[in-house]
Amino acid sequence: MNASDNGQKVLSRRQLLHQGSLSLAALATTACAGKTAEQWSDPRHSQHPAATACDEGVRMVNSACLGCNARCGMVVAVKDGKIASVSGNPYHPYNTGYAPIPYDTPLAEGLRHSGSLCGKAHDLPNYVDSPYRIVRPMKRSGPRGSGQFEPIEWETMIRELSEGGRLFAHIGEDRHVPGIKELDKDDPINPEAPELGPVRNGFVFMAGRDQSGRKEFTDRFVKEALGSVNRVAHTDICGLGFRMGNFAMSEKKEAEFKADPVSAEYILVFGANIYEALQPGINTYGALVAKGHAAGTTRFTIIDPRATNASTHAEEWIAITPGQDGAFAMGMIRYIIDHDRHNKQYLSAPNGKAAEKIGHGSYSNACHLVVVDDTHPRNRKFLRMADLDHAISGDAAQACVVLDHDSQPQPHDNVSAVQLDRDATVTSREGKAIRVKTAFRLLKEECWKYTLDDYARLAGVDRAAIERVARQFTEHGSKAAVCQYHGAGNYANGVSAAYAIAVLNVLIGSVDRKGGYLKGGGGAGSWNVGDFDLKTFPGQKKSSGVMLSREKAAYEKSSEFANKKKAGGNGYPARRPWFPFTLGGLCVETLSGIDEMYPYPCRILFTYFFNPVYSIPGGKRFAETLKSLEKVPLHVSIDIGINESNLYADYIVPDITYAEGHYAFLTPHAPALKFTAVRTPAITPMTGETLDRRPYCLETFLIDLAIACDLPGFGPESIAAGNGTVQGLTRAEDYYLRGIANLALAAKIPEASSEEVVFVEHNYPVAAFRQLLQPGQWRKVCRILARGGVFAQRYDEGFAGERHQNGIKKVAIYNEELAAVRHFRNGRYFPGTATYNAPTDSDGNLLTFVDREFPYFLITHKMNLHAQSRTTWHRWSMEVFPENFAVLHHGDAAKEGLRDGDTVRLISRSNPQGVTARIKTTSLVRPGCIAVSFHYGHTQLGASSLPIRGAETLFLGGEKIADRNGLRGNSSLGTGIQPNDLGRLDPSLGNLPLVDVLAGIPDFSSTLIRLQKVSS
Amino acid sequence: MTFNQHHQSKDTEWDGDFPEHPQRRRFLKGTVGIALAASLFPGDAPAASTPKWTMVIDLNRCTGCQSCVIACKAHNDTSENQFNTCVIISESKAPESSRALFTPVQCNHCHQPPCVAACPSEATFALANGIVVTDWAKCAGDLSCLDACPFGARHADARHGNKADKCDFCLHLVERGLSPACVTACPAKARLFGNAESPDGDLATALQRVDLVGPQPRQTFATSVNYLPRRNATKQGEAR
Repeated sequence: MNASDNGQKVLSRRQLLHQGSLSLAALATTACAGKTAEQWSDPRHSQHPAATACDEGVRMVNSACLGCNARCGMVVAVKDGKIASVSGNPYHPYNTGYAPIPYDTPLAEGLRHSGSLCGKAHDLPNYVDSPYRIVRPMKRSGPRGSGQFEPIEWETMIRELSEGGRLFAHIGEDRHVPGIKELDKDDPINPEAPELGPVRNGFVFMAGRDQSGRKEFTDRFVKEALGSVNRVAHTDICGLGFRMGNFAMSEKKEAEFKADPVSAEYILVFGANIYEALQPGINTYGALVAKGHAAGTTRFTIIDPRATNASTHAEEWIAITPGQDGAFAMGMIRYIIDHDRHNKQYLSAPNGKAAEKIGHGSYSNACHLVVVDDTHPRNRKFLRMADLDHAISGDAAQACVVLDHDSQPQPHDNVSAVQLDRDATVTSREGKAIRVKTAFRLLKEECWKYTLDDYARLAGVDRAAIERVARQFTEHGSKAAVCQYHGAGNYANGVSAAYAIAVLNVLIGSVDRKGGYLKGGGGAGSWNVGDFDLKTFPGQKKSSGVMLSREKAAYEKSSEFANKKKAGGNGYPARRPWFPFTLGGLCVETLSGIDEMYPYPCRILFTYFFNPVYSIPGGKRFAETLKSLEKVPLHVSIDIGINESNLYADYIVPDITYAEGHYAFLTPHAPALKFTAVRTPAITPMTGETLDRRPYCLETFLIDLAIACDLPGFGPESIAAGNGTVQGLTRAEDYYLRGIANLALAAKIPEASSEEVVFVEHNYPVAAFRQLLQPGQWRKVCRILARGGVFAQRYDEGFAGERHQNGIKKVAIYNEELAAVRHFRNGRYFPGTATYNAPTDSDGNLLTFVDREFPYFLITHKMNLHAQSRTTWHRWSMEVFPENFAVLHHGDAAKEGLRDGDTVRLISRSNPQGVTARIKTTSLVRPGCIAVSFHYGHTQLGASSLPIRGAETLFLGGEKIADRNGLRGNSSLGTGIQPNDLGRLDPSLGNLPLVDVLAGIPDFSSTLIRLQKVSS
Repeated sequence: MTFNQHHQSKDTEWDGDFPEHPQRRRFLKGTVGIALAASLFPGDAPAASTPKWTMVIDLNRCTGCQSCVIACKAHNDTSENQFNTCVIISESKAPESSRALFTPVQCNHCHQPPCVAACPSEATFALANGIVVTDWAKCAGDLSCLDACPFGARHADARHGNKADKCDFCLHLVERGLSPACVTACPAKARLFGNAESPDGDLATALQRVDLVGPQPRQTFATSVNYLPRRNATKQGEAR
């Protein structure tokens, strides 16, 4: 074999796929190297190693992984209908360290290469074949949470959910359960508060792991067919904190930016677990950074309370106090400004043209003037030309104002050289004096509120560390950037921390520069318009009103505010926070809204691939919510297993795994690149099927429910085609396969070669539906399918010189919209710049003070072999890491009289019973912190036995996991502990999980705990 | 090799080596000097075209992601909780720069394999291509090779009469022209694999490196798996 490129060339199959070939496997046997007969007995003959592409009867499907949401490609080898093994897609930049084979490489050549994948992907067969997978629908047959379920026929379930009624009368629940049809009405949900929207909003659909494809499909049902505004994902627990910093910096244009892992010389890693998690994942980002480290081209510093796995290659690990990333970043900002290390040329460019002249694709608003005058009606806003002269009209009126070098106010878009750091008074044409400051001056004043020593003390680090990092960060021109992720800002008041961290990149002008802070490049083309209209349909609703989470809605526009003002007073406080300035996806506040029936009650809750009780810090509290028949009159879960949350559901609809479906159109997270990876099934669904032989899954369920409820957009004649016909939507492929055809059109994909068409038709389950497309469309689709997507642009092609071509055009040091947000309790404004702000409860009390009798921070993290909540079925991962531990510093252990392996109880204010854990001591955690990984401590997903009637028919394992008592659990699926069980609740807000009151960020860093030794 | 939390625990104080096993070391002293009889090799002497498979593991690239470990499990049906390769996790002892350390380990395909000498039934031997294998038709499951291996790289497969198992560079894949599963899987390309007789690319460069070192504990004989040591090692004990 030729192992020339590190063993990446897999095998020669040049003649493999000529036209008329029957299948890959048939050819592979002739193309693979011949095996000599052995004179000895190889252990692999006795064991059962995975089949390879060289074995007979093996199919190969180029698809996309969902071991996590990093969006790598995945080539699946299938033997006898079972997953044999997986490998990386050589056409996909995420599997090849940003260096895929050219997209036009013929498949026969492409198959000679293989990309990499992380360990999660390789565990796919164990996930797909878990005996605890649900294969048939079930209905609750005892009290919520009792685990009593029984089988229900698909058609009966659809009817019950459409019509509602006394659905649980047989188990003694004397109540009417609402059906979907009942909510298909335009009456206001609260006539006293019409702004909240129609009755439809009583339907709430919450998605856990959501991806483009199924997301739009469920949007179609929830928002466009039924017309509810309440379709919410889980961005908040995924990582809203750091995204809010980017959101503020980019004026709401982008949430994802990361340091360029290819060209950055220096990366400042803030709360990003780059060797164990991230998006792109360890298979891509971590691997690229490691290669850069090995080559000596990339250096990086880690700022984290825990020495993450990346510490192995880091320049330095700075063990920061949890929740104090903002102190470190504001300290850096102060040092950089005080020592003149910011990029003044870039920051002084008042508009795009001026910035372009000096080689930047974006400009900042650093030199734009902000009104700082309490008496001015536009206080806190950018000064506009119209504020100086009312006679100015049109676009010119809206231009921001800057001061030229003669201190004359000028429209920002009409000058090139202006003053950056000013506090001034300008005079309007009417002669009114207006006090103004540049955005830069406001940031400078904000960072001057504390000394460097203060910041160091707050961050729990040496002042020298802040100085050292600030110097390193500013020594590489724009070839330095931050990589901030979950840890940076995922706590109460985290917006200010994440904004400060994002602004560091602005100060050195590295946003969307090669080697700098890059956004993603977007998709290869839209898939929901083109030959087939998957976006609009006759009778389509437009959802309206306020979401239960109150995201993107202003309290000041509510009837509640008006009524409170009418009753005397200033209208504050609101009952719970509202979030006009947030990226959204607030699942925690949705559930808290459901619990408090605020601003209106939930009538029907659908949860999809979602485990909030397990995945949310303090999520245990929501078990009470989900148990309540009043707060959640009907709960339907669509999922692959019984988890800690849908244990409380009324109905559970079986879903398929990503090996069997989950069609998806996956675009890159930052940094850079432009592609749409496409997921299609590798194997046929393992769930049961309807009478007309469609698999039980999310799509079949929503289609059948929509048809039963007579909702538009589903069933026959639902999809308008470009040729004037109207096609049906009765199964998943009707939608997604046409989506792939649209993508092919948008991305100008040529038809596949005949050998590639043959390959797809003999290997891909989706080929069974090719008659949905015209032959020409199908051949183009085959070209995409054979390559696992459209990978349109190579890394280098994304840049024009040093400029990221798909980069943002403007960045904000002062965010006007942020500055307009008011605190829900008292109406106080939030600052419009980055600022220092420690984590507090909703009343503004410092959590470290309120919980001072709890001496340790609980910090949490992901592990390289797990995704958050759904990998306990990954058998091999569990062999490597059979359990998790409470990990603390040697010094703390000595102080507590603890040794490795001792059992302790971890106790928090919100969980006085505590959680029992085994401890492990280390030098890789900051003293005063206890680190616990996620992924473990499951009580469901097969970890417990449940009194389920007919379990042998409901689960994939059949009789192997069922007995006369129901489902038989396997305790090895429930080893270790779940740190979220300790999560801090907010007693002044319904004792519900603590969130940031500005953007709705759940708090992952402020839970304080104490230890109680149980045994040695 | 048995891979469990013990290997990852700091109390092994492992600084880049396999955990030391006193008995193993004693046994080793008695075996390293034994010359291996040519008759232990099957078939003819290696022809000029016979490849010599070798692997270099670049510790500056390894992120400890464990992908190689799971890919190995996925491709080689090793018994439960037994691994043909694993990643040893340890911590740097340098107080001023605490860091995690990852070292992938496996059978090193020694050029004078102590396991071969130790096997009373002559079940284990090196192929002409340098891969040390075990003939399960001959293996009696007496496990003397497990003790003989200075690296602890062998384990018994209880499902098959305690016969000895270990890494064979995925011989069943290599023979078909494929790479070992761990090599294909590695995202950072920390595992460089190929023919030592005609290496190219990163492997050729790596084999030229003067800092290339063998696995620990150090042996007097050469091995087919070698390492590029950590660049940022702060003290001798940390360097591989």
